[in-house]
Amino acid sequence: MTAQLLLRSANIVLPLAYLLVAVAYGFVFFAAEPRAQRFAAPALRAVIVLHFACLLGLAAHWRQFPAATESQALSLIAFAVAVVYAFVEWHGRERSTGFWLVALVFFFQLLASVLARPETPDRAIFHDPIFAVHVSLALLGYAAFAVAAAYAFLFLQLYRDLKAGRFSTFYGKLPPLAVLERMMLVALTAGFVSLTGAVVTGAFWAQRLYPSDWLHDPKILATLITWAIYGLALLLRRLRRWQGRQTALASLAGLGTILFSLVAVNFFSRFHAFL
Amino acid sequence: MPDSPDPAAALDSPDPAAPRGPGNPAGAGGGQAGAGAGPGAGTGDRAGARADQPGDAARGSGPAANGTAGPSLLLLGIDHHTVPIELRERVAYGQHEAEKLLVHLLARSAIAEALLLSTCNRTEVVLQPRDEEEAYRAALDLVFLARAPEVERPGLLYVKRNQGAARHLLSVACGLESMVLGEPEILGQVKQAAALAEAVGAAGPVLRRLLRCALAAGRRARQETAISAGAVSLGYAVIELARNIFRDLGDCRVLLIGAGEIARAVARNLAERGARELAVANRSPERARQFQEEFPQAAARPFDERFAAIREADLVIASTGADEPVITRRQLAEAMAARPGRALLVVDLGVPRNVEPAAGRIENVFLHSLDSLDHLIQRNLKRRKDEMPRVQEILDQEIAHFHGWYRGMQAEPLIARLQKQAERIRRQELSQALPHFPESSHEHLDRLTRSLVRKILHHPSDGLRGREGTEQLPRLDLVRELFRLDDYDDADADESEARARGEGGAAAADGDEKPPAA
Repeated sequence: MTAQLLLRSANIVLPLAYLLVAVAYGFVFFAAEPRAQRFAAPALRAVIVLHFACLLGLAAHWRQFPAATESQALSLIAFAVAVVYAFVEWHGRERSTGFWLVALVFFFQLLASVLARPETPDRAIFHDPIFAVHVSLALLGYAAFAVAAAYAFLFLQLYRDLKAGRFSTFYGKLPPLAVLERMMLVALTAGFVSLTGAVVTGAFWAQRLYPSDWLHDPKILATLITWAIYGLALLLRRLRRWQGRQTALASLAGLGTILFSLVAVNFFSRFHAFL
Repeated sequence: MPDSPDPAAALDSPDPAAPRGPGNPAGAGGGQAGAGAGPGAGTGDRAGARADQPGDAARGSGPAANGTAGPSLLLLGIDHHTVPIELRERVAYGQHEAEKLLVHLLARSAIAEALLLSTCNRTEVVLQPRDEEEAYRAALDLVFLARAPEVERPGLLYVKRNQGAARHLLSVACGLESMVLGEPEILGQVKQAAALAEAVGAAGPVLRRLLRCALAAGRRARQETAISAGAVSLGYAVIELARNIFRDLGDCRVLLIGAGEIARAVARNLAERGARELAVANRSPERARQFQEEFPQAAARPFDERFAAIREADLVIASTGADEPVITRRQLAEAMAARPGRALLVVDLGVPRNVEPAAGRIENVFLHSLDSLDHLIQRNLKRRKDEMPRVQEILDQEIAHFHGWYRGMQAEPLIARLQKQAERIRRQELSQALPHFPESSHEHLDRLTRSLVRKILHHPSDGLRGREGTEQLPRLDLVRELFRLDDYDDADADESEARARGEGGAAAADGDEKPPAA
């Protein structure tokens, strides 16, 4: 009964709270409103704490990792994107881009709330702590890559404006190119570290459960390709072989690979089709 | 702002319905607003004055729109719209001169309060006159004619009064009257003028409040609208571009190729905005040395070594008079190859162009010419113009605050009299009624009647103070007449006299007051 109430409340409160924060960031982006600037970041952190408490509550009630349904997985993705964005914002001390990311978080959480079901399947795999760590790291990594792709998109918009002297809507509202690039690199690095952790824990866990042929699974192959793309992009940027624009393009390409591995490969994967 | 074609109409009337010939009284301010005060003199003086715009009064909303709502104010001025720079610089006043001038103005009995705003683009004097005609004459002579007699020529001097004057000062503070729309420096200059008037003792309650509203309007316009957003000059356009690429201008290494006047102007702007590392490469070492005299922090580089300097730079500004490009695509590509991973902003201010246009295609090179800078400036100017209606709203609000304050000032004595009269009636009626009630209820009745009086007078008092959002100025005379407050004043005076003679003791003991005359 308590879990039902918590679930129902979370499904209403969380999207509304993220919407409120997105509106505040919208005021920061479109109107440079100083009150919204003061309000947005602390409000986001408060909603993240609330979201984390809801996830913990549900995990405690069901005694399993709360990713057993599409709704739960989407809510976890929303949470992961929010956490990564909050980290990148704190690191870059830059709030003017929050609207785009928090709007994405709101979209995921809204979808999670719409798809929410009162019951959850009880699957043994979700009781395994290594699986929980593996999925958490993978989601965190993908969320970070999504955030990096958002920054890559904004970077490329501003880059194009400045190159062509066209000065579109984005011009003057975004942080400087150097800051956007830095935020993109922070998100990429966070995503790469998380994905590396996910690959290692996944390999350990799969070796235990499917010792013979887990490496031939299409999703694992796609994930390894994604991991390699991001690793190469970061390495080339670090070696200054690539400029910001190439790294941004690689970031968008990486996101494409992730979406492919999450959606299309599911049709071919035998044991790795959770989402 | 059209000049007045009719010399007699040069000084406008705040209330078009009220004709103001010689000898006609002015509005609330009580100033004289005739076309001429004395034989020939006034009319001639005003022949050159530019009148308020017809829309000045109409633009304001609410009580502010009523010419009699505010205090009497008079503003005389010249600015970049009406007067060429040769004349403006003659009528420009430094701090010390302005101080002396204010003292002279205040020495005139016709002037109660005065403010002088003198910048490179305008000289304006705002007065709170006791006698409008004399105040006008004094300000014209002391501030303008003493320095530039030709100001008398038609169309050079503008004169605004009452609401028009208040609105103009607020408009100036918001940057709406500036040569570059929304420029921020004017707010600081208005603040300095206010501080000077305060220091000299020239700012009384009216101007002090008006300046508070003007500064608030100026601040709000800049905070709540984009009237000052975006660069609208060449130097600041370069800074704006740099700020869109680099994290901190203070960390940018700036290379100037060419050390001419344009380069200096841009370097000045950059240095003001925090650029610390400057280098100059110029063909003539003499010119480079002169550049270094103005910018001691700048390092001089031989012109032939400019490509080596580009490798270290983040921002390159080229402004030489060369007929051929001094930076080619190939040379820039080589320089960029030596500095991988770093963006380079190249601003070409030369005509003909100093940088090969194809250089803009190099990765991480952002090449901007005069055309793209102009494009940016025009875009920002348009954005500022689009913000004007929002600034006008702020002006309306602040003008309404100013007039509300003034109305409150005027209404307070009347409200006090109204309350006194009500209290007198209450006590009179209470004294007649109390004997019919048991003594235990007297205190209760006293509280009840007090509360009744307070509640009945609450809304009318607020209305008189202008706090109820009333669109029309409360007619204080009407209120005085309706409640016969003057009769009560007479009664007060009689009572005081009687008390003084020791004859009113019994009446006072009975709580008896003289009833209003039938």
